[in-house]
Amino acid sequence: MRRLLAGRSRWTIVAGLATLFVALYPVLSDSTYYQDMIILSLIFAIGAVGLNVIAGYGGYVSLGQSAFVGLGAYTVGLLSLHHPDISPFVWVPLGGVVAGIAATLLGVIAMRTRGHAFVIITIAFLFLMQLVMLNWRSFTRGSSGISLPIPQWDVAYQNWPFYYALLAILAGAMLASWRIRRTKFGMGLIAMREDEDKAATVGVTTPAYKILGFVTSAVFPGMAGGVYAYYLSFIDPRGMFDIVISVQIILSMLLGGRGTLWGPVLGAFIIEPLNELANQQLGGGNSRLLIFGGLMTLVVLFLPRGIIPSAGVWLAARRRRGAEAPMGTRSDGAVPRGRLALRAPAPPGGGAPLLEVRGLSKRFGGVNAVDACSFEVQAGSITALIGPNGSGKTTAFNLIDGTMRADSGSVWLDGQRIDRMRPWRRAHLGIARTFQITRLFKEMTLLENVVAPLRSFSLARLNAVAISGPEAKRAEELLEFAGLREFRDEPAGALSYGQQKLVEFVQVLMLDPRLVLLDEPAGGINPTVIERMAQMIRELHGQGLTFLIVEHNMPFVLGLCDPVIVLARGGPICHGTPDHIQRDPKVLDAYLGEDFVLDEPVGVGS
Amino acid sequence: MTDFVQTLVLGLLIGGVYALLASGLTLIFGVMNIINVAQGAFLILAAFVTYSLWTATGIDPIAAIAITAPAMFAFGWLLYRFAVVRIRTASPAASVLLTFSIALLLEGVMGLVWGNTSHAVRPSYFNESFHVGELFLPKAQVYACLVAVGVLGALYAFLARTWTGRAIRSSAVNPEGAQLVGVDIAAVAALTFAIGVATTGAGGSLVSVLYPFLPGSHYVWISRLLGIIVLGGLGSLTGATVGALLIGVGESMVTTYIGPEWATAVPYGVIFVVLLVRPQGLFGARLREDVAV
Amino acid sequence: MRATRMVPAALAALAVGVVAVGCGSSSSSNGSGDENAPIKIGASLPLTGDFSEPGKAAKQGYQVWQQQVNASGGLLGRKVNMVVRDDASDQNTVVADYNALISRQKVNLLLGTFSSLLNIPASSVAERNRMLYVEPAGGAPEVFDRGYKYLFFAQQATADHQGDLFAQYILSLPPAQRPKTAAYPSLDDPFAVPVLDGIRAKLEKAGIKTVYKKVYPADTQNFDAIANSVKAANPDLLVHGATFADGVGFIRALNKVGFQPKYFFQTSAPSFADQFSKGVGENNTQGIFYAVSWTPDANTPGNKQFLDAYHKMFGNTTPAEDAADAYATAQVMQAAIKAVGGIDDQAKLADWLRHNTVNTILGPLKWADTGAPQGQFLIGQWQGGQSQIVLPKPAATSDQIVQRQATAAG
Repeated sequence: MRRLLAGRSRWTIVAGLATLFVALYPVLSDSTYYQDMIILSLIFAIGAVGLNVIAGYGGYVSLGQSAFVGLGAYTVGLLSLHHPDISPFVWVPLGGVVAGIAATLLGVIAMRTRGHAFVIITIAFLFLMQLVMLNWRSFTRGSSGISLPIPQWDVAYQNWPFYYALLAILAGAMLASWRIRRTKFGMGLIAMREDEDKAATVGVTTPAYKILGFVTSAVFPGMAGGVYAYYLSFIDPRGMFDIVISVQIILSMLLGGRGTLWGPVLGAFIIEPLNELANQQLGGGNSRLLIFGGLMTLVVLFLPRGIIPSAGVWLAARRRRGAEAPMGTRSDGAVPRGRLALRAPAPPGGGAPLLEVRGLSKRFGGVNAVDACSFEVQAGSITALIGPNGSGKTTAFNLIDGTMRADSGSVWLDGQRIDRMRPWRRAHLGIARTFQITRLFKEMTLLENVVAPLRSFSLARLNAVAISGPEAKRAEELLEFAGLREFRDEPAGALSYGQQKLVEFVQVLMLDPRLVLLDEPAGGINPTVIERMAQMIRELHGQGLTFLIVEHNMPFVLGLCDPVIVLARGGPICHGTPDHIQRDPKVLDAYLGEDFVLDEPVGVGS
Repeated sequence: MTDFVQTLVLGLLIGGVYALLASGLTLIFGVMNIINVAQGAFLILAAFVTYSLWTATGIDPIAAIAITAPAMFAFGWLLYRFAVVRIRTASPAASVLLTFSIALLLEGVMGLVWGNTSHAVRPSYFNESFHVGELFLPKAQVYACLVAVGVLGALYAFLARTWTGRAIRSSAVNPEGAQLVGVDIAAVAALTFAIGVATTGAGGSLVSVLYPFLPGSHYVWISRLLGIIVLGGLGSLTGATVGALLIGVGESMVTTYIGPEWATAVPYGVIFVVLLVRPQGLFGARLREDVAV
Repeated sequence: MRATRMVPAALAALAVGVVAVGCGSSSSSNGSGDENAPIKIGASLPLTGDFSEPGKAAKQGYQVWQQQVNASGGLLGRKVNMVVRDDASDQNTVVADYNALISRQKVNLLLGTFSSLLNIPASSVAERNRMLYVEPAGGAPEVFDRGYKYLFFAQQATADHQGDLFAQYILSLPPAQRPKTAAYPSLDDPFAVPVLDGIRAKLEKAGIKTVYKKVYPADTQNFDAIANSVKAANPDLLVHGATFADGVGFIRALNKVGFQPKYFFQTSAPSFADQFSKGVGENNTQGIFYAVSWTPDANTPGNKQFLDAYHKMFGNTTPAEDAADAYATAQVMQAAIKAVGGIDDQAKLADWLRHNTVNTILGPLKWADTGAPQGQFLIGQWQGGQSQIVLPKPAATSDQIVQRQATAAG
């Protein structure tokens, strides 16, 4: 712990010295050449820090970042053209606003596209912006461009106003990035990057997160673009909407380390001098392309994490040599550590079903996975959903939690129809669900994993600090409940399968759910962990939480659950107590075939 | 009316060449789920090579396909083995970034070797047209379109009739299944990439006659090709052909009836509309809603 | 352990800082210092990138001038050293270049770069630093809209007046021969568009109807559809704003379409001599008008010496127009320096240029207060496979003006 702190403070000092140096440079030296280089580096840095929010945290890599710089530049340029007596600096914040509005558009588009489609659309967005600026001559002066007035301040101050304006904007961008990383918003973004569909099921309202992420990523580059326009004193569509600048911004972010705070800044201060070097010493335009093309190739292939994270990993590995991996630790005993108090204790069961599935159907091609399926889950019960392979259990879960859309039928939660709702909405209403093959956010720590789910959507909640404070405290309680609190800072990917299953279980409890859907919780783990799982379920059930469990492990099911619903060929064929269904001939037929005779009832006692 | 027919005909003639160019891009995506943004740079490279061949030996640029296509095939194969294969399992963003950086590298190299000014190949027929009634059909466009259709036809036949072709199609549809029936999908991937680059390379030779080009032209071309395969449906060869004709005609119509300054907007507009309204395009497969099994 | 790791890091950061500050510091005066020290002149040019062809030609022009000046005793008796940086046709780089020339390389004088797009930001740097800035190219009217005091353009006129003599000629034709309709297709370029706008304003005022007016983007490659549209409009006069490749491409497309206007004016491309006629085919050049700032045959003072020196340095090829423009630029600067007798007070140099005419190889140049030149471009026409100057009469190399004709097949 102390060593960790020492490492951090060492780098903080280096970063602090570097910042101080940059801040004081214009006072120490009057070389406009280097000031110019730093100014351009600051612009790249702002672009990269902004991009980092949506691309580094959120995983949506956009090639359209220079469009925001350009829009900011044009906002300031046009306003300055029509109001020549007002200093262009006054319009700079508006540049950010215009860029933010355009980013909302991009965010809306991102809601509907992913992966390849998304990157292609950002390219099209950038080129289309450039084309509109070119063709809308009456408004933007087209290819002739716009000239801005010459600065009127004393020559002795050289470029100071530009320099410090950009420094301030960078500080703002970094502050925002730092803050976001610590809040639930940031957690949700990273969760989205790791596994967007899973994030949706734990309440992350992905459309809102995307739009907010894009707006945040655009506002600061927009302002920087405004300052840049004044600095350059001339803007035209080709220069301002140049895709090579987008590439350099992405490269800055990737090289320095995406998802980190200082990485994009470090990257920018490497890329811009390299840019200068290429243009001046190495023969201009073509060598610039070679250098950046080559550098990006190398970074993407060999250093995908970037400098800072890779260095961090290397240093951490050195520090940890010989330490015991979390995977290897024994899970000791079947006693869950500590009790967990549910925060939203369920109202007493009153006879009405909590969950109702009516006539649900889903087909894949020619296969009716779920066929006119209807069943109920009573509040306060631990209901099991069993059946042979292919009977539609996991599909039914997917239809209930919103991962899939049903072809027909309806799902009702406490009298409210939910089958038209998106997954996060259902999560906010109180449905929590774990997956057959555990889906945790591998790159995030255990604490971050548990803190990422969003109980309900509000801007205040998004802004809540996640890595400390009440949210983090609750997360630690949940991890304590799972017996894994000491690994709170380990990445989830470092855990064993059984440990991950426990974490996923408590992760969804963060939602304060009313109904927990567990998909094969006992699958693929050792008996000790299975027993702990069962105890955890019983404990929570004792406080009134309702469970619906899909399982193949019969002793687990029959010892824990009542009632049991048996599914076969897409629909329920039997429903009743464990004893009852064990004897039912339809059930035996579905599982074992007609001629099998059961010797004696099976059950696991506590 | 003749004006309309003339515009239509011009659009179709170009569309044929576009179809050949887009076929490579869509084939590569279909088999290995990579959008090769460098495809535009490959076609310009082929155009430059054709130009050098023509200035050095006077060989007809369309006939030069016999040289450029195999050369680009080898180039594509090598590129796959050394660079592209490493990002097959990476995220879509990584593959786009990698192929984009390859495009930049190529642009720089071409600039160094051939310079940044416009080049064009001008064989004897470059100024002439066939006259059919009131219509004029530029000779270069007609020859190029015929050759493009021919090569496309050969590609279709290859994919449909030969064992290798079927191997390629099967590994596009279901890689694990293909492996299980004995297809060496690593070799197939390299082969597909090489074929994709080769067909675009053939198209590049045709382009060298039709339009002036310089290293920076690849942006316009890749935007166009992306618009085409998005419209047609990523991975569908038929889609690429139909999309190419539609975009060729679209550009022609917009130039004539709205204004040439908006012609380049056509692919971008198509990309936006298609990806937002019907992401699978005209002929693409609907993405399966896979359960996390 | 902590301290020993921390201190080197801090020292390293400090060391870098000191070095950079040391390298970066400069004295603020651009003074000439020692009276016999060589004069340092700095310029940036697009030697690579989109404008590399004219950029390289301009560099040749500057070099020829430097050689000539030094051969005849230097400037104010001092040897001239020249630094030319490559701005790679990029705006950010050109700003960095001029900043470097002024603050790092401490040049005494500046010369301009090529293209309005680059000259606008570059001239801002010069203006902020109160240095004379004469540019060889960059005739877009916006360049001179900004109230700059140190900026001068070393060609005869800005883009919007480039076609003045041609427009005058058209309007001087007897009504029977005068075109009734005109088409104005243009490249979307800050230079080409104003040329057409200038011509069109004059012709529309006199009643010549505009039947086609469209702008096409810089990356247009397919001119068939545009040519087809122009043919459908059937203009008597075709005025085409182009640079080189699109100019050639458009003429080829017109052939394919089978349309030849009676009068055809094109910017830029036809001034490229052999390159142009090879590009479109010699038979297709007949009758095409263009405007140009310089020809090798011009009888202007110093032209022959320029040609001789150029041939000695670069071989027996004809210099490009841009090389001559660059040479003239340096001549302008030289004239001001000689007249004022010093290089320290650049405001005085600028002032002198505003009130005087300079004789260059392009002819006499004089300027308005904005730095925009007040002369007229030469109008040329291709006749019989050769490019000739036809207007103004005193400078003409051919005394006839021919009709546009082209054979159908290239």
